[in-house]
Amino acid sequence: MTFIKKHIYIPAALILFSACKPDIKTPALTKGSADFSRYISIGNSLTAGYADGGLYLAGQQVSYPSIIANQMKSVGGGTFTQPLFDAAQANGSGYLTLAGLTKTGLPITANVTSNLAIRDSIVFFGHKTILYTKYTGGDINNFGVPGIKLNDLNNPYYGNLNGFFERLLPGNAPANTATSYLQFITAKPFTFFSNWLGNNDALGYATSGGAGDLLTDTLVFKSYYQQLITALTSNKAKGVVATVPDVTSIPYFNTVTTGAVLVGVQQALPQANIKALYINALSSPSASGYYSARPATSKDLLILTFNTGLLGQPVAAAGGLPYGLTPYTPIDNQYVLDQNEVILTQTYVNSFNNTIKSVAASNGLAVFDAYTFLNNIKANGLLEDGVSLNSNYISGGIFSLDGVHLTPRGYAIVANEFIKAINSKYGSNIPLTNITNYTGVKFP
Amino acid sequence: MMKKLLLIFISLLPFLAKSQGFQVNLFGEKQIGMGHTGTGLAMDGAAVVFNPGAVAMLPENYIQGGISPLVFQSDFNPSGTNTQYHTLDKKAYPFSFYGAFGPKKGIWKLGFGVYTPFGGLADWGQTWQGRYVLESLNLKAIYFQPTLSVKLSENLSIGAGFVYNHGSVDLTKAIPLSYANGQDGQAELTGSGKGYGWNAGIYYKSADFTAGFSHRSQVTTTISGGNAIFTVPASLQPNFPQPNTFSATIPLPAVNSIGIGLYPTKKWILAFDINYTSWSVYKNLEFDYSKTTSILTNTVSPRNYKDAYTFRAGAQYKANNQVDLRFGTGYGTTAVADGYVTPEAPDANRVYLTGGLGIKFTKQLDLDLVFEYEHLMSRTQTNIESQLSGTFETNVFIPGVSLAYHW
Repeated sequence: MTFIKKHIYIPAALILFSACKPDIKTPALTKGSADFSRYISIGNSLTAGYADGGLYLAGQQVSYPSIIANQMKSVGGGTFTQPLFDAAQANGSGYLTLAGLTKTGLPITANVTSNLAIRDSIVFFGHKTILYTKYTGGDINNFGVPGIKLNDLNNPYYGNLNGFFERLLPGNAPANTATSYLQFITAKPFTFFSNWLGNNDALGYATSGGAGDLLTDTLVFKSYYQQLITALTSNKAKGVVATVPDVTSIPYFNTVTTGAVLVGVQQALPQANIKALYINALSSPSASGYYSARPATSKDLLILTFNTGLLGQPVAAAGGLPYGLTPYTPIDNQYVLDQNEVILTQTYVNSFNNTIKSVAASNGLAVFDAYTFLNNIKANGLLEDGVSLNSNYISGGIFSLDGVHLTPRGYAIVANEFIKAINSKYGSNIPLTNITNYTGVKFP
Repeated sequence: MMKKLLLIFISLLPFLAKSQGFQVNLFGEKQIGMGHTGTGLAMDGAAVVFNPGAVAMLPENYIQGGISPLVFQSDFNPSGTNTQYHTLDKKAYPFSFYGAFGPKKGIWKLGFGVYTPFGGLADWGQTWQGRYVLESLNLKAIYFQPTLSVKLSENLSIGAGFVYNHGSVDLTKAIPLSYANGQDGQAELTGSGKGYGWNAGIYYKSADFTAGFSHRSQVTTTISGGNAIFTVPASLQPNFPQPNTFSATIPLPAVNSIGIGLYPTKKWILAFDINYTSWSVYKNLEFDYSKTTSILTNTVSPRNYKDAYTFRAGAQYKANNQVDLRFGTGYGTTAVADGYVTPEAPDANRVYLTGGLGIKFTKQLDLDLVFEYEHLMSRTQTNIESQLSGTFETNVFIPGVSLAYHW
C-alpha cells in the first residue's frame, strides 16, 4: 500500500479528469475599432424584414438588422428597437402563405387577410397610398421602409406616397409630413449604421417588366448616395453598406420561363401549331428604345406572377386573335423583362454598385457585396451546416413566396455576410448567427 | 527501467502525426488497466480477442465477464462563434464475455468470446447547429468468436477463431423542410445486420519476455431491410414514401496487432502493443432505399478513412498477494482525413490514461476495476460534404468492472 500513498496522484488525476467536460477555447469577442452601442439600419423592404409579399410581425422579428444587432450585443451593442406591428395586428400588410402543392408540385398560395394593420388609404396626386396603424413605440433603430428608393431620399412628402414610411412619422398623411427620409434617419445620434438602399432604384423598373416604374438616373444615384453617406458619417459613425443585387438573380424572374410556358401552351393546344410566344419587347438596351412585338427567347424573363391562363385567350381589340401567340397580340410589357430591358437594368445596377463601392472606399466603410454573393448562389447554390440552398423558388430555401424577398434563413445568411464584412473591416469579432435557427419556406 | 521505457515511448509520440473512428477497444478490464496492451501477454480469457494464439498458454481455465459503461462527451464550436454544443450524457455499455477451457497441462484450449469491438454513441440533440448532418447515432457491433488454440512447443502457440458479427444502427437527423410551426422534418434509419470474419494469432514465450502477433480480419457488415422513417410536412410526404426500408454496408476494418511483455522483477509486468487498423477500406457510407423519388435519392457520403495506428504501453505491479495495481497510456492516430470529420465520429488523434485495480477474492475469483480517461484532440474542420465548419473536442470516461473465475 505504500505504492498507493506514494502515487496518490494517479487516482487523484483520474477523478479530476472525470469532472471536466471538454471546453473549447473560443476566440475572444471584440468590437475592434468600431462602436456598436447605437446601431441603426437604413434600407428598403429587405431591411424591414419584408417577406412573402408583405410586411408582418414574424418577418420583422427576423429582419437581418435585428439578427446583426442581436449578435452585436456580445461586443457592446445596445438595444435595437424595431417598429413592430402589434400582436393584435401581427399580419401587418397581409402576406402569402403556402396552402399546398398540386400533384405536379406547383405551389398553391393563399393570402393572409386577418389581423391586418391597415387603417386607411389616400390618393395623393393620383397615387394610391395604403396607410397602416401608426407605430407609437418611440425611437427606432431599424429604418427599413419597404418600397423606398435612394431616389426618394430627399422627398419631403414621401410619407404621402409610402404608407410604410408614413406609419413611422408622427402626423397623418397627407397633411402631416414634410420630413424626408434622410432627415428622419439622421434625427437621433448613432454610432454605427448599415445601409442597403438602392435595390428599388432598379428593381422597381424590373419587377414591373420595365413598364410601371423608372430606373433612377445614374448621376442622381451617385449624388444622392454621396449625400447619404456624408450625412451618415458626419458624426464619425462607422458602418457597412451593401451593393445592389443583380435583379436576374432572384426567382421572380427565373421561375416562369418562356421555354416551359411555350411547351405548356403547345401541349394545351396541340392543333394550333404554335411555334413561339410573342412579347412586346424593347428595341435596344437604352432608355430611348421603343417597344414592338417579337418572338420570345430564353433570354426574356417572364415575371413570377404572370398568369399563364391569359395565353391563347381571344383579344377583342385584335379581331379575336389569341393572346401572346401572334405578333399582333404580344404578351404585355408589364409581364416580361425582355432581353434588352435585362441588359439595360444590369447596366444601371453595375453603375450603382460602382458608386456604392467607391463611396464606401473613400469613407472607409465595410462593404457586403450582395451582387456577387447572390449571383454566386444562383450559379453554384450554397451549402452550409448540411443545408443545401439555392436560388430556386420555394425549394431553394432562401427566397420567400414572393420570389424577391428572403426567408428567415435567407435573412440570417445575409446577416452573417454583413457581420463578416464588418469584422474584416473593423477588426471586430462579432459572432456569426446560427442559420439553422431560422426557417426556410414553411410547408403545410 | 519502466520509467525510462515509458519516457522513450512518450517522447516518440509527437513525431507520429497521424486513430480510431468507431473502434471501441474495451476487451478486458485487466488489459484496459494496462493501457489496452495484451497482444504479447497471456493474462486471462480476454486473450481470445487480444491474441488467440496465447489462449493455449493460459495456465488455467477461465470464465469471465466485464462491462465498461462509457460516457462520450463531445463539444462543437461553430466557426466564427463563441457557441458550444455538447453531446447529451448518454451512456454506452460495451461488454465482454470470455471462456477458455482445456485439459490441465494439455496442449490445446477452446475459447469463446463475445465482445464489442466497434460502436458509436453520439447524441447531439435536436436543436444543435449540425442537426441536418446528424442528431444521434447509436451504432453497435457484437462479435461472437469461437476459438481453438494449440501449443506447438513449450515456447510457441497459435490460435484462430471464427467471427460472427451482429451489428445494429439507429441514426437520426433533421431534414431542412419546415412545418408551418417552424419545426424541422425528421429522418430515422434503424436496422440490424450481420457479417463474418476470423481472427488468428501467434504467441511466443521465453524466460525473459513474451511476444505475440494477432490479426482480426475485416468484417463487412450488411444491414438490409432497415426501417427508413421520414417525417415531413403533409404536402411533401409523397416525396418521402412511407413505409420505406434501407440497406447499407459498412466494412469494419481489419486490425493487426503486435505486442511484447517484459517481466523485470517478480512484481512487475510491462507490456507494449502497436495496432494497425486498416480503416482505409471505409470509403463511403451508402444508404439505398427501397423506394426513391426525385427528392429522396440513394445517398453516397464519402468517408475516405485512412489507416490508423495506436501505440500502447502498460504495467502491472503486484502490490501483495491480493492486490494488483495497473496503469497504462496510449496514443492513437486518427482514421479520419481532413475535410471528412463528422459529428457521428468527431475523430482526432487521441491520448488516454488508464488505471486499474485487481483484487483476488479467492484463488479462483478475481475482481478487476478500471478507469480510463481518453482525450481526442481539438480539431478545427470544415466538412466537405456538409460544410459544417467548426472545432470538435472530445473526452471519453470509461469506468469498468469485471469478474473472472479460473480453475
